[in-house]
Amino acid sequence: MNNLYLGVDIGSVSINIVAIDEENELIFKLYTRNSGNPIELVKEGLTKFKEEIELDDYKISGVGVTGSGRQLIAYVLGADTVKNEITAHARASTYYHPEAGTIFEIGGQDSKLIIVEDGIAVDFAMNTVCAAGTGSFLDHQAERLGVPIEEFGELALEADRDVRIAGRCTVFAESDMISKQQYGFTKPEIINGLSEALVRNYMNNLVRNRVLKGEYIFQGGVAANIGIKAAFEEEIGAEVIVPEHHGVMGAIGIAMLAKRDVKRSGQESSFRGFDLTKQEFETTSFECEDCANNCEVIKVIADGKIIAITGDRCGKWTASLIGDSAVPAESSSEKEENMAAKTSAAPNEDFNKKAEELEVDLYKIDPEKEQQVMRELEELEEKEEELEDSDSDEKEDSVYV
Amino acid sequence: MRLSFPYMGPTIVYAKLFELLGHDVVMPPKPNKEIIDLGVKYSPEFACFPFKVITGIYLKLMDKNLDALVTSGGHGPCRAGYYGEVHKKILQDLGYDVEIIVIDSPRDDYKYFYEIVKRLKGDSSWLKVAKVIKTVYELTRAMDQIEKKIEILRAYNDQGTINRIWIKAQEEFHQIQTTAEVKEIKNKYLNKLSEFEGSIPAENERLKIGIIGEIYVVLEKSINNQVEEKVNQFGFEVERSQYLADWIRENAFPFIGKDLEEIEKKGEEFIEIEIGGHAQGNIGHAIDFKQKGFDGIIHLKPFGCLPELVSQSVMDDLSEKYEIPVLSITIDEQTADANVLTRVEAFLDMIREKKYREVM
Repeated sequence: MNNLYLGVDIGSVSINIVAIDEENELIFKLYTRNSGNPIELVKEGLTKFKEEIELDDYKISGVGVTGSGRQLIAYVLGADTVKNEITAHARASTYYHPEAGTIFEIGGQDSKLIIVEDGIAVDFAMNTVCAAGTGSFLDHQAERLGVPIEEFGELALEADRDVRIAGRCTVFAESDMISKQQYGFTKPEIINGLSEALVRNYMNNLVRNRVLKGEYIFQGGVAANIGIKAAFEEEIGAEVIVPEHHGVMGAIGIAMLAKRDVKRSGQESSFRGFDLTKQEFETTSFECEDCANNCEVIKVIADGKIIAITGDRCGKWTASLIGDSAVPAESSSEKEENMAAKTSAAPNEDFNKKAEELEVDLYKIDPEKEQQVMRELEELEEKEEELEDSDSDEKEDSVYV
Repeated sequence: MRLSFPYMGPTIVYAKLFELLGHDVVMPPKPNKEIIDLGVKYSPEFACFPFKVITGIYLKLMDKNLDALVTSGGHGPCRAGYYGEVHKKILQDLGYDVEIIVIDSPRDDYKYFYEIVKRLKGDSSWLKVAKVIKTVYELTRAMDQIEKKIEILRAYNDQGTINRIWIKAQEEFHQIQTTAEVKEIKNKYLNKLSEFEGSIPAENERLKIGIIGEIYVVLEKSINNQVEEKVNQFGFEVERSQYLADWIRENAFPFIGKDLEEIEKKGEEFIEIEIGGHAQGNIGHAIDFKQKGFDGIIHLKPFGCLPELVSQSVMDDLSEKYEIPVLSITIDEQTADANVLTRVEAFLDMIREKKYREVM
């Protein structure tokens, strides 16, 4: 039986599921649009996986989840590895292209720049307050122009003239686009202008003053757009490589990371099995009011049974789920506390000293300064008293207003 | 006087200060979504984020029948210097009549500081004031010392267990009356934490992150997305450039030793003059962290903060010259938790991989 490793990328716009084998060969690949119900989509994805793959030949030995929706899905699947998409993308990219120096990754709602040296990420940047320069920006404009997003890139290459479109804000880009249409620019030209605006934005916001080195890899959903690829090539003046599986690189990366983690720990995968496609999942949340932290506690429920609790900073709710194993731990810490209370009269001087020796004592008082301040305060007080003696009305006035 | 103050970091210290001086202290509410929304609504749009949070806290306190709000001023060109005045105006415009007492640094103007202290001391004698300040200072020092331990141990132990100890310690510190009690509680909790000491790995396996930035977002966890706990969660130790003692030092305690000044002076290499806030000092701390063998710096900057914007712009040079990775995070009411987590995690992964390679 061969081992398979699942990688799931829960992005804002798409949900990708892949499976790789021991040799990192891609056995299964699925790219679906995220219509807002990730649990259902993952269930559907796994059902498809069951149909396509002879389950008897394979064993799921590791599961990794990445993307902005990773936490919830990780509980649903029983993932072994939960990691951010930057690390996952870098991993897959450097596997397929060991010589990579710069990775441009443009997804649905975020764009990232990863700088790689000798196969490991050394620097990265990610868009912050704004989604200009991401897939959603293009999506929106494609809809506005009535062009299917799949044809967007090819159309851009048909442009004859250059047109500059304001690309900072999606809404302003739209008004600029409408006005440029009035000037008689064609659809391909406008689309080309938009592609250039997106790349310009990316350069200004993410690359900034960084010096980029080759090879240049371009991945993420937007990498399917050859117009953007061309715009990147023009901007940096070098060839840009789009990997074969550019749309699912995050999922491939996280599957590789899951494989590594499972191998390192030597443990069985905590994958909850394909039966989960038949289970009903539900999440509820409440605000815990037991202390000033007011944590938002989230419960994940599968078929009426709580499978995960998260969000509490003191770990009280999380521990309540573990049940039996948590109880002795709790009571022993309670005991320790009592003991500590009893022994507190005889403090552990050694421990205290060590902490202080380790660092500069920032709390030391400067006697000279102390004397000086005290002197000045005393002088002020004396003056104040003299005033008080001579005229009590005047004192009223000198009080701070 | 019946008074309150902005919520920042473990508020116990300020509460204790006023309480021991005989005032009726109303505890300010901890910033949450509602308070932040309130603050954003009634603050000028271009004001920096801490200003907006404090506006929200003040507004929330308005039905508590306060005589005064006590806050600190800023020094140098930072906008914190006019927080008090603008807040007063905002509250007045909304029809609230409450006095705002601004404690400015005693280093700037002794006379003014003296007047303020005189007012706040009420009927207490000067001897009593000196005693109170001493007690509060010991309290600050004790809490900082415990928090520094927490920030290390949380990296290697169950977060909940360690957090619970910290929550309990704060509750107990809230009850203290004398310096002796402070010491007793401090020792009790240091003892308790020392039981976890064994979890700290060998020195060359420890990974440490220094957190620098504007004092409010560095100290107040409810608005900085608990960035310290996030870092700890991935097995990294944390130390901050700012602790409560900094606030006390600047606002109530003018005769502190020179060690800190020396650290902050290191910042002159990148920011030559004092530009307000803690910009220069922060750069000094970043360099100091590197010299102490830290592996990375997380720089927190509130949206709209001018001094930190300047320090962000020198981060690239600093990072290159001192070979230390820096992650700048801008904090405002829009910041999403998932976004911060992704960035922090990727940053820490990067540091870990780098270190792993260097060892190989």
